[in-house]
Amino acid sequence: MESEQASYATKPTRFTVFMRTFVPWQAWRFAMINLKMIDIIRRSHHGDSPK
Amino acid sequence: MSRVVVLGAGISGHTAAAFARSWLGRGDTVTVVSPRPDYNWVPSNIWVGVGLMKPAQVTFPLAPVYERAGIEFVQAAAREIHPEGDREHPAPYAIAESRDGLTHKVPYDFLINATGPALRFDKTDGLGPEGGHSLSVCLPQHAAQAAAALAQEVERMRKGERRRFLVGVGHGTCTCEGAAFEYIVNLEFELRNRGVRDKAEITWITNEYELGDFGMGGMHLKRGGYITPSSIFNASLFAERGIDWITRAHVKKVEPGRVLYETLDGSEGEQGFEFAMLLPPFSGVGLKAFDRDGADITDRLFMPNEFMRVDADYTPKPYEDWRASDWPRTYQSPDYQNIFAAGIAFAPPHPISVPHKSPSGTVIAPAPPRTGMPSAMIGKAVASSIVDMIGGAKAPTHTASMAEMGAACVASAGANPFTGTAASMTVFPIVPDFERYPEYGRDKDRTFGEIGLAGHWIKIMLHHLFLYKARLRPGWRHIPE
Repeated sequence: MESEQASYATKPTRFTVFMRTFVPWQAWRFAMINLKMIDIIRRSHHGDSPK
Repeated sequence: MSRVVVLGAGISGHTAAAFARSWLGRGDTVTVVSPRPDYNWVPSNIWVGVGLMKPAQVTFPLAPVYERAGIEFVQAAAREIHPEGDREHPAPYAIAESRDGLTHKVPYDFLINATGPALRFDKTDGLGPEGGHSLSVCLPQHAAQAAAALAQEVERMRKGERRRFLVGVGHGTCTCEGAAFEYIVNLEFELRNRGVRDKAEITWITNEYELGDFGMGGMHLKRGGYITPSSIFNASLFAERGIDWITRAHVKKVEPGRVLYETLDGSEGEQGFEFAMLLPPFSGVGLKAFDRDGADITDRLFMPNEFMRVDADYTPKPYEDWRASDWPRTYQSPDYQNIFAAGIAFAPPHPISVPHKSPSGTVIAPAPPRTGMPSAMIGKAVASSIVDMIGGAKAPTHTASMAEMGAACVASAGANPFTGTAASMTVFPIVPDFERYPEYGRDKDRTFGEIGLAGHWIKIMLHHLFLYKARLRPGWRHIPE
């Protein structure tokens, strides 16, 4: 039986859990997450090389 | 000819030294002073701690890399800074001590203090793997010790014994909750893989006010038509994996088989364990500073927590008055224009998370994290400013404020190329800026998180990419921090 604190937490559906390791979907997410991270990196660098 | 000296060869110091060397002329020198002979890609220590990697897979010897790059390497621990030299010689220098007791005098024109943290296991009675009763993954050898202890526990569980695992932070002022979080979910994944999960009771203990704070005041993520706090995602992840949690806790003492803790509401508790991995609080490494006459000026260069004062606003003020602009931009010492601090070594102006104290006055709130991506970016910006100053610039030319930069973070939640997962997160900016983003302090479109196999692939890719970069292999400059 789950603990009391766990019973108040959100839990994923079976479909959500399946999608987390479904390779075609994750290949797409791999590309998308990388794009998001590149965007963050680009915005965080303020002309790094010496002037 | 100019001499640039970098104290420390962690993520920030190594990055600063490598870029400074590549940008400076051959007439200038770059020297790294570090007590350890190896570079350690710290984020992957988690995998050493669950037995999936050996220490040799997350470290490499620095000397040959520095020799190839033309960087001088002094294997010694920095002890003192003499920013005005001494009565005999007015040129500034640092003093370092090697393991054999030899003292090294290292003159500099520009100094980067990137000494990182001291692991203060001593702040909690009984904490830590060296003389204490808990384990750690802060260093590769600590992580290897944790992996060996885990293997023993697995053997016991295979024989039918039930075991209790406790993971989290070992003091009310710890930081790096993210690393402990990675460890607990990897541990849970490994116990499942090894077929003994049903014999394990796993508990998370943290100084965070809410789960998912991570010392950054938590995050708000746009998902499923809602703006949801990271506490919801963290609780979901733990509930799904059968992990219990204790929040708002300051571990007071670690005894064999149990920890004693105090919580924010003033109550006292204890938690039993057979296996405990608890991170220590950090401080600076205790560098001392002296003026030309030999007078101790440590308190001018350093804060009481031994981290270095830089261009931050250190005026004590209540949480409501904290501003993004309090955070440093150039990391230059206010007293000496040729001294900088990078990475964990700089003193933050204040925490990021809301401060809390228990009725007895115990501070129970995470310290701000400044590891990984921000550390490397600060190191690079500092190196760039110094190169410009050597070229004639009067002041630092580059900035890397944590209130103006974002961070991308991948927290492993199980290492397997087909069944593993990791939480991929981005935040922008790291330090919330409520003047720019009044609602949540961060850009909602650039602060996101999701869990899945893709995150694990990214984590593996980053492990190899950043070790390749740190080895200064061809093209390393083009790999972003």
